[in-house]
Amino acid sequence: MEMLLQHLDMVIFLVLLTLGYLAGGRAERLHYQSINSREQELLDMPVVTWDEEFPPEQIRGAALVTGSAVISIDYFKRLMAILRNLFGGRVKAYESLVDRARREAILRMKQSAREQGADMILNMRLETAAIGQSANTKNQIGSVEAIAYGTAIIRRGP
Amino acid sequence: MILTNVNTVPGKNIVEHFGIVQGSTVRAKHVGRDLMAGLKNLVGGELKGYTELLQESREEAMNRMTEQARQMGANAVVNIRFATSSVAQGAAELFAYGTAVRVE
Amino acid sequence: MKFTPKSLEGNVNVAETHPLKDLLWMSGGMVLLLGLLVFALGFGADLVASKAPISVESWLGRQVLQKFPGQESTALETRLQSLLAGLPADSPLHQYAFRVFVAKTDEVNAVALPGGNIVVYSGLLKKVESENELAMVLAHELGHFAHRDHLRALGRGLGLAVATGLLFGGDSEASNLVSNTLLTFQAQYSRSQEAAADQYGLDLLAKRYGHAGGATTFFTRLARQAGDKLPYLFASHPHPQSRIDDLNARIKTRHYAVNGVQPLAGDIRP
Repeated sequence: MEMLLQHLDMVIFLVLLTLGYLAGGRAERLHYQSINSREQELLDMPVVTWDEEFPPEQIRGAALVTGSAVISIDYFKRLMAILRNLFGGRVKAYESLVDRARREAILRMKQSAREQGADMILNMRLETAAIGQSANTKNQIGSVEAIAYGTAIIRRGP
Repeated sequence: MILTNVNTVPGKNIVEHFGIVQGSTVRAKHVGRDLMAGLKNLVGGELKGYTELLQESREEAMNRMTEQARQMGANAVVNIRFATSSVAQGAAELFAYGTAVRVE
Repeated sequence: MKFTPKSLEGNVNVAETHPLKDLLWMSGGMVLLLGLLVFALGFGADLVASKAPISVESWLGRQVLQKFPGQESTALETRLQSLLAGLPADSPLHQYAFRVFVAKTDEVNAVALPGGNIVVYSGLLKKVESENELAMVLAHELGHFAHRDHLRALGRGLGLAVATGLLFGGDSEASNLVSNTLLTFQAQYSRSQEAAADQYGLDLLAKRYGHAGGATTFFTRLARQAGDKLPYLFASHPHPQSRIDDLNARIKTRHYAVNGVQPLAGDIRP
């Protein structure tokens, strides 16, 4: 007991690390499951990065659709990134973060297009930003924000 | 794999499109490079280590994007966009995305 | 142009290694790196400590002393002087102008600071029961000065702070963590340094009083209170019992007599 108290810093660190690993890992698994299943659902919504001219009589409406997501890092990932910074190489911990944020943003954009009855999204653009500047600095909220936007078009029925 | 950043592949017809493909990577340089960059900040000039880092990241991001396109059975990616973001201090995030298509 | 929906297998955008495996590799690498660093720093600090002139040390001493609020105690200084009288004339310790301070803390400890400053915690003064025991404590601190341990510890601490700051950036969580962890493990003095100071103190005590009485009694009382050996695994000082054993071994080889002790004079207890 005395030993635990003497090394309180270390104990707190290990508890946070384990918590971050277990909870963060679980959250990531569940999120990927949900992303995969929703991607299957929305698979038939065409999204392209180009713009296209359509004859006016074919189009009933057009609207800007957006989707965004902010994903937080966890304690474990932060440590991994700090260590990675020391050795160099792929920061795997953050790769899944930006991947999740971006795919979630695209999904939300597609969802919003579907709700408006759109048939297609044109000229899609993606932006990523790190809120709280650099994610592995102390006392900063580390998170990744992704935003996807494009023009949804609704075709006139045949 | 044909890669372009315009709407079409000039000289060819797009016959089929499959959706968005994207590739991204987050990379860091080891601490020695970071230190050197810090010193370079005093005198100015090109940060060779970071230029290299960006180059590697861009190649990796493109490779990953074309890998996705290959999985979809596409033979070209058109209207490619690049973007960078600084997710972490000393690390570069680079991503590339475009539309996977089949051209003839 | 027709649209064919295609779904993707796997995820090329995320590297496939298991995070724990990654962690293991990297923390292993970091431990190795820090080990080398500590080794190099220890070596450098030792080198500097053995070369640093006393004037630099006195300056350092004044800086460090500001962090230890305490009252100068003439009663303790007289005792220290009588201990110093037992040293040979060419001893390097004579170059110091020793000052002894008493800090009001319950902790049972005494510290040797650069520049010949010794801080004795009032908690220790409460536990001391004879003149000989007190002399042993002071002689032990003199042992640190003789071996220049106080400078080594300081140099190493400073070096560590600088190195972690450089590696991780001054304000990051990592540098706090690393320096905390390392400081707990390497404490102030290593245990071999403590043992060496004990031996030095014992010889000095024997010279002052002509016998080694009271050298171990203080530790015996501490040992009774300390009990279990486990928490001492990481502590800066060795377990009292092992110190007693070492001291007794030396008393035997040097053939010191162990006679009765002098009771504590009235000017010590507040």
